[in-house]
Order: sequence, then structure tokens, then C-alpha cells
Amino acid sequence: MNSGPLHMSDHDLSANRFELLYGMLLDAIPSSVLMVDEKLHIVSVNRNFLLKSQRGEAKTVGRPLAEVFPTIILENTDIERRIREVFRSGTSVKGQRMTYRAPGVPIRIYYYSILPIPSNQVMLLMEDVTEQVRLSEEVRRVERHLASVVDSASDIVLSTDTEGRILTWNSAAEKLSGLTAHEVRGQYFFHFCGANEQQTVSTVFMRMKSGNDSHTTEFPLLTSNKDNILVSWVFSPMKDDYGQTVGAVVVGRDIAERRKLENQLRQSQKLAALGVMAGGIAHEIRNPLAVCYSAAEFLLMEDIPADFREDCSRKIQSGIQKASAIIENLLRFARPSPDTEMSQVDLSAVIRDTLELIANQAKVQQIKIQLDLEKKPVLVRGVSGLLQQVFMNIFLNAINAMPEGGLLSIIEEIFEAEVAVRISDTGVGIQESDLDKIFDPFHTSSPVGKGTGLGLSICYSIVQQHLGAIHAQSTPGEGTTLTVRLPLL
Amino acid sequence: MNAPILVVDDEPDMCWAMESILKSQGYEVVTVLSGEEACYQLANRTFGFVFMDAKLPDMDGLDVVRRARAIAPDQVRAVLVSGYHYHDDPVIRQAIDEGVICGFLAKPFTHSDLLKALPKRDTPDSR
Repeated sequence: MNSGPLHMSDHDLSANRFELLYGMLLDAIPSSVLMVDEKLHIVSVNRNFLLKSQRGEAKTVGRPLAEVFPTIILENTDIERRIREVFRSGTSVKGQRMTYRAPGVPIRIYYYSILPIPSNQVMLLMEDVTEQVRLSEEVRRVERHLASVVDSASDIVLSTDTEGRILTWNSAAEKLSGLTAHEVRGQYFFHFCGANEQQTVSTVFMRMKSGNDSHTTEFPLLTSNKDNILVSWVFSPMKDDYGQTVGAVVVGRDIAERRKLENQLRQSQKLAALGVMAGGIAHEIRNPLAVCYSAAEFLLMEDIPADFREDCSRKIQSGIQKASAIIENLLRFARPSPDTEMSQVDLSAVIRDTLELIANQAKVQQIKIQLDLEKKPVLVRGVSGLLQQVFMNIFLNAINAMPEGGLLSIIEEIFEAEVAVRISDTGVGIQESDLDKIFDPFHTSSPVGKGTGLGLSICYSIVQQHLGAIHAQSTPGEGTTLTVRLPLL
Repeated sequence: MNAPILVVDDEPDMCWAMESILKSQGYEVVTVLSGEEACYQLANRTFGFVFMDAKLPDMDGLDVVRRARAIAPDQVRAVLVSGYHYHDDPVIRQAIDEGVICGFLAKPFTHSDLLKALPKRDTPDSR
């Protein structure tokens, strides 16, 4: 400047004002700004740099870059060469990363840019991104943790979009199915379910779109070698912050081994139920036997009229038919269910068949049966042998609750997509405190040797396997009602 | 025997068999299918003997006999016929000890078993 401060021109005055203003602006911005000349000497710095580097202005301005920045940074970032390059080419370098540790302060991470300035200087702009880097590393760490939780799980964990297309597929899913995540990604989940289950799975996905409920079911998963493994599934809708369904999480567990044990248990419980029915069965078979015996004895007599002889033969025939019908019913019930292959079942027919088996037992205890079934077939998806076991256990419990006789009523009702079967007795009832225990295994009110305490827990597991629900209501001294709900086909 | 024999069983074929056996020996027989009908018959008629099924759909056979004996203790002599009980069943033993029934006949039975259950002096031949 050629004139002294006392004789400043208007132009000088305004230039000075701008210099002050820009100096203030530079000091105010939360980034470090350094001006560097061609000799790589620092021409000026803003306050933020002095603060971060813990340096005074005097020891910074006019000094070579190499003196201000630690050697290790100069070597790692090769910043001197980059600045020279900007001077030579006139193009800026943007978004490089630098880790800077000033004496006595924790490590900081910067993104820096080198920008050419027309007055043969470059501007070194350094932004402190320590916090952002820390946050994004934290996010990545949490993500990695979640991913490893999902991947380390021994259960199948997969996610889908709202239509049921697979997005993720964990290691357990790869191992059990033999299909890699890469192979299944983008495919519809139901492609990996058996032909019988595809409709059910589609329905479950449809329901999850609007509902909040999880769906529990079980069916086999197809594997890469065209085999299948039985899996127990839980489908849960995935919601965003606004409560909209954005996809689904499906968790599955290989239950082949558990199912084997469960089937054994169900079978032995069934045979125990047969034991309870033995009295009624004996009575019912001995009646036709007694008729046959008498008729045969008449046939052995001489001189009986021809029409009476014919009567005797017919009584023998019908007696044998009655006895063998009872035996056939028993055999069908006693036979182990052919695994868990689900098919279309008429629930009313299952209830009628089961009633036939216990009718004798009800009769010998003077129990009346009131049956109110739907006129049309009630179609559900299930294993008829297992459903029969459910009703058998409930009927037998009802009969046992009425040692002095009473009324057993069975009412079937359709509610939109489900059927409810209400089985009521006029028996002793269940104390309220016991009501929530009745589905627990080994909970029994029967004396030792009369009941295993497994009947209702088996009912519960079978109904659950059929995507249904079972619950009990009772008034002590008045009776109990069990309601079984199953989804209609 | 002048008074007829009452046969009570909810199974019509059982009634047919017992009726046929007894009629072949010259007895007069009345058959009914329920406890209520049996009670009605026993209250309104005199029977020489009763063959009572143990398990009727509406009542227990022993209760029918007990009820009839409460009205006319000496007139009702009954044998319980059943496919449900066995001969040394505690329920049967107790009913015999108490004098409710005078015997028990298990199903199936031979014709002579049935006839032997009848009191000897009442057989037509001894008349």
C-alpha cells in the first residue's frame, strides 16, 4: 500500500473493509483453511486450523508446510507432491482423507481438498470428519454384528419383500437347503415350498401385507437335491417407521427329529385313550357277540321253523357286521397317522367318525350327545388322523367330567375364513386357577392310572400345527366348553 | 309261572335273542328298550322275573331295579345282564350282597346259562 493509514482513499478503505470481513468469515467457518504459495510456505491460516493444530499464528504463517505438518502426515498423504501438482495443472484435488494428531489431543480425521487460487496460491481446505467417520463405523459395526447374529443362527433366517421375493438367506438356510443365497435371491419363497403349501404361503404373505400378526406353521422346505426337510416356520411382517409393511422375516427350524419324537408321543397317548375307551368298546362288541351266540345255538337245534332259521342266520350276519365295524373304527384310530402329509379334510366327517368311537363310552355313562354340524362339508387343510385325535381327547375329557351323566354338545360354526367347533359338557368344570394350565403337558386332574395329562397338550400342538387355535372356558359345577378354531380352505 | 318275564335291553336284537330263548321254554315275555319303559312296566305289572341290561341309554340298570324294589321289594327278582361288567366286578358283588339282584349274566351267554338264572321252582317243568 503506497499511502499511509491516515490518507487512505475510498477505494483502499473499502478494500480494507472486505479484507477484514473475509478474515472474519474465514475465522468463523468450522473448517481449517490454509493458503500455501508455490514454495510450499504457508501464507495465511484461519483460526480453526490454529485451534485444531494447537499452534500459534507466529509459528505457522510464513513457515514451510513441512515444518507445520508432522512428517508422518506429509509422508502418508504425499500432500506436498499433490500441492505442486495443483500448481502445475490448475485443477483441484478433492475429498482426500487425512488422519491428524496434534500434540496432546486425540486423533482427528479430516477430508481435505486442494483448490487453486488465481494469485499463485493454493487453498488447503480441511474438514474435520472424525465424528461422521466414527458414526458410520459404528453403523457398519452394528450392521456387521447383526449380520453375524443372523448368519451364526442355526435356524433358517430369511427376509423377503412384501410379495414374498427373497432378499436375504442366511448360512443355516444355505446349509439346510443346499441352495446358496445367490441362487435364491429375487425368487419367490413359495418356489421352495412343496406344491401343496404354495397356496398357504401366498395367503400368509397376503395377510402380512395388512396385518401385524406373526404366522406359525410347518411344512417341508425343498432342497437342492429334490428332497425335503420338515421345518417349523414363523412368518413376521417387517414394518417401517410409519407402520407400513415393507417385507417379511421368515424364521424356520428343522424339526424332523422333534417331529419323530412328537409322533411317538402322540401315538402312545392315542393308545392310552384307547385304554380309556376299553369299557365302552367291550360293551358294544359283546352285544352283537351275544346275539350271534344265541342265534347259532338255535340253529343247532332240530325242528325249528324255516323262517326262524332264516331270522337266526340274518341276526348272525348283522351281529358280525356290527362287531367288525366297531373293530374297524378302532383299528383306524389306533393306526399311526401316515406322517404329517396334509390334505383336504372334511372336518364334519372327522367329528362324526370320532363320535362313533366314543358313542359307546358316552352311552354307558348316560351321556346324551347333541350334534349340530354344518350341512355342507367343512373343508380344512390337515391330517385327518391328527384332527381325530384332537376331538377324541376333548370328547373323552368331556365324558370323564360327567361321571353322573349329562349332555355333550358339539356345535360347528363358520366365521368368514375359519371354522369354530365348540365342545361343551355339563360336567364338573375346571377351577379358574387351573384353566391356563390345562394345555400344559402332564397337568392332570385324573387319578394316577386314569389319565396321562398329555391329551390336551397334544391337542394344542396338533391344532397349532394346523394353524388353528384352541381355548377353554369353564364354570366349576356347570361345565366346560373347549373351542377349536381352524382356518378354512 | 303265571307272571310274565320282563326283558330290558336297548339293543332290539338282544331282546329278540332272550325272548326267543324264553318263549321256546314256554314263558310269556315282555321286552322294553329303555330304563323309563322298564320303570313304567314294573310299576304297573307284576313280573315273575326280570332280565335287566346294566347300561341303558337313559338309566343305569341297577338303578331301575333299585327303584322298582323300593316300591315292591319282594316282587322284583332280577338278574343283571351285561357286556360291560364281569362276574366278580365289585359293583356286581355289592349289588348281589345288598340283595338288589339275585344274579349276574355276562354277555355272550349260552341258552342254558340264561335259563339257569331263572329260579328253579319257577321253571314250567317243575309246575
